Amino acid sequence: MTPYVEECRREWKRLGVPDLLADEMATDLEADLAEAEADGVSAAEIVGESDPRRFAAAWASERGLVSEPPPQKKSRKGLWIGLAVAFVFLVFAGCSSLALITIGTSGSGGGSVAVLRPSARPVKAMTVPNLVGMTVCKAELSAHNLGLIVHAPDGPCDAVVVTQKPRAGAVVRGDTAATSVVTLRVRQPGG
Amino acid sequence: MLRGVLDLCLLAVVVDEPAYGYEMTRRLRERGLSIVGEGSIYPLLGRLERDGLVATHRAASDGGPPRKYYSASPSGKRALTEGVLAWRDVRGEVDSVLATIEAAVTG
Repeated sequence: MTPYVEECRREWKRLGVPDLLADEMATDLEADLAEAEADGVSAAEIVGESDPRRFAAAWASERGLVSEPPPQKKSRKGLWIGLAVAFVFLVFAGCSSLALITIGTSGSGGGSVAVLRPSARPVKAMTVPNLVGMTVCKAELSAHNLGLIVHAPDGPCDAVVVTQKPRAGAVVRGDTAATSVVTLRVRQPGG
Repeated sequence: MLRGVLDLCLLAVVVDEPAYGYEMTRRLRERGLSIVGEGSIYPLLGRLERDGLVATHRAASDGGPPRKYYSASPSGKRALTEGVLAWRDVRGEVDSVLATIEAAVTG
């Protein structure tokens, strides 16, 4: 896999794009870039963007696989606030020998130096759709569009979902990754 | 310049025969349309897919790995028809605005 496609793949993984779909996009992009090169067509004409992360985020976002592209340049403001809070805490607590690590870049954290990022997912009850009978890629896309996370075995896109857990119609809390996972079992094509 | 109509062009090149991503770029080039500097077709394809304007399937390509093929869905064909009419209207209006300038330039 070319470095550009590898970087795209990493970005899709970071954004939470389901593995099957990310693999499909990476495979297609890799094959297209190879064919373009053989035709003497520049990669710029194919990807139109020198930054693989931005390209990958735009593609996934337009396809509806992520809510929005990630910010490209992280503000360091939150980091400085976190460091300032840590410093004040150290001075007032008199813990000069305590080694501290700041985590994250936002929020005040009160008296703690560990600044935890709150979940971006609002607490939301979601009804699990019926995914049985769909191809695994379609099931992943349908579930993902509802905000659910899908665990499915690796394999081709046209494997068919035979069971799902939770069952269709179950109501799940979609506020954390742990409460919004749908696990699929599939039948491989020809199997 | 092409940004507003590139999705229309993509639908146009798969309305009769499905194509995979690069094949669509190739068809655009064969019809004289280079998309250098216009961004990539993949986010546009993603949007067309999300909006149900293209249907997709995977199939073997000539001498290469299986590819994801795109074709215009019934909704896509309707959008294409409406888009072509809208484009003709806009083109006519822009042409009449630019006509005087064009006459002066080519003068």
